[in-house]
Amino acid sequence: MNPLAVRVAGVTFPSPLVLASGVMGLSASSLKRVADAGAGAVTTKSCGLEERKGHPCPTLLPFEHGLLNAIGLANPGVDEMAGEIAEFQARSSIPVIASIFGRTEAEFGEAAARLLARVRPALLEVNVSCPNVGSEFGQPFAADAAASARITGLVKARAGHVPVAVKLSLMCPSIAQVAKACAAAGADAITAINSVGPGMLIDPHVRRPILANQVGGLSGAAILPLAVRAVWDIARTVPLPIIGTGGVARPEDALQLILAGATAVGIGTGVYTGGLEVFGRINSFLADWLDREGLRSLDALRGAAHPARSQEAHHG
Amino acid sequence: MADSMQTVPILEVIAHQAELKTFILPRILDAAPGQFVAVWLPGVDEKPFAVSADGPETIQITVKAVGPFTRRLLNCRPGDRLGLRGPFGRGFTLMPDSLLIGGGIGNAPLRLLAQRLTERGLRYTWLAGARRAADLPFLGELQKNPAVRLFTDDGSVGHPGTVMTGWTDALAATPTPPRLVCGAGPEPMLLAVREAARLHRLPVELSFERYMKCGIGLCGQCCLDGSGLRLCVEGPILTEEQMQGVTEWGLPPRGPSGRRPATTPKATRP
Repeated sequence: MNPLAVRVAGVTFPSPLVLASGVMGLSASSLKRVADAGAGAVTTKSCGLEERKGHPCPTLLPFEHGLLNAIGLANPGVDEMAGEIAEFQARSSIPVIASIFGRTEAEFGEAAARLLARVRPALLEVNVSCPNVGSEFGQPFAADAAASARITGLVKARAGHVPVAVKLSLMCPSIAQVAKACAAAGADAITAINSVGPGMLIDPHVRRPILANQVGGLSGAAILPLAVRAVWDIARTVPLPIIGTGGVARPEDALQLILAGATAVGIGTGVYTGGLEVFGRINSFLADWLDREGLRSLDALRGAAHPARSQEAHHG
Repeated sequence: MADSMQTVPILEVIAHQAELKTFILPRILDAAPGQFVAVWLPGVDEKPFAVSADGPETIQITVKAVGPFTRRLLNCRPGDRLGLRGPFGRGFTLMPDSLLIGGGIGNAPLRLLAQRLTERGLRYTWLAGARRAADLPFLGELQKNPAVRLFTDDGSVGHPGTVMTGWTDALAATPTPPRLVCGAGPEPMLLAVREAARLHRLPVELSFERYMKCGIGLCGQCCLDGSGLRLCVEGPILTEEQMQGVTEWGLPPRGPSGRRPATTPKATRP
């Protein structure tokens, strides 16, 4: 048995490492390349009902401690993406997670229905947490537990047997409470966290924000501690599997999220900082780690940093 | 950190013509021939450009009017600030006895390649083509270079015809076949160069373009269908082996949304 295999809402990922939404997720060929690099699941770019070109550039800005991005939900639309997903599924056995967003609550349900009429992804990711389109869409839905729960319910009603993961934001009073509301509304998994902020960087010479959208979500190494804490809080509050995402580039980063309670680990900006080899490198590390610890799977490590669970593990 | 944004003043502008200019910028980065930089025009947009020359204290980018962004950029004057990120991607291999083939603005990256080859004392032949004389940047410089053969569609300078008409002559004129064919220009020209190189069993490195956003291999915008190769990281210079894994040659490239425009079906005759 593959010791790295994990199960998220009934779907087996051959590795806990998941390509996070927004990175190399526009085409079947691109997703296939990441799958071949060792990802256990791949997530598409978030898609809505209609094609969007996104913001002008610069949309993505590396700096010393991470990355700001304001792509502006550029996407080809769910109909087009359904075709890419179908092609990916014909070319790879790795589970594909279809990420969707809506401009209104109702649009989330419509996007899910339109996508699922054409293709059956392994999971649906409901992106209620994009921080980049505030001027157009207002606060991310994920800032509001009740709105997040309503969206979860709308998508669940259209999702049939396809499990639904809700992607949450830290930009709310309590991410655990939002997760709890989504769980009550039927969510099958939680993805946490989306990029943080938004933040801003200004060029001092031209005296204006560098991103065309002025502000953008912060990702990369800087947000790892936030992601670890978010996963920790969610794991103590809801019994759902968590795809822990945020700032993972090194094997120890992935391990921290698992120890905090994540079943799977998303990697986005890490594809930049660590290269595409990041998946293979972390897979090897985790396999070696299990081997050294005499463990047959990641189950014993999941949430093992929580004091109560550590005790249970000792007594069990 | 070179991937982060740094703004610099334009030091000098060379106007080859109204719609074709070279911008001389402080040398804040070290670009290999064929690599590109992201150029930010504050308040407008950011687009990729090849570096066309590299001096001790300056670098150059050569810009042709193709859309709203380049038209705004062409209005910039010395002292205006541009943002730079990069260099990105992988450049041309420096090989003795190279055959350089450039079409129009594609001759700009080849200029830096020729510069590097000359600095290292490596021989090359450069077939520089354009629709008309006015579309060739650095025409005076090219005319003085004995390694250059010029081609224009309208015959306004050099040999009349395309660079491909010069291909056979160039092969015949050199005592040894080229050890590497380096091409930059419009995609149909590049695909013709690729075919010709295959026919003559010559190694090629060709410079391709796609809509790009991040330049660092994340946004997925320039991933090519087939192998999923990221043109901004593994390109923009592709070898024959890399090109073989790509299935989208001849198709309209994906746009800013990631969607590939539908191809108009060719009229079929019964």
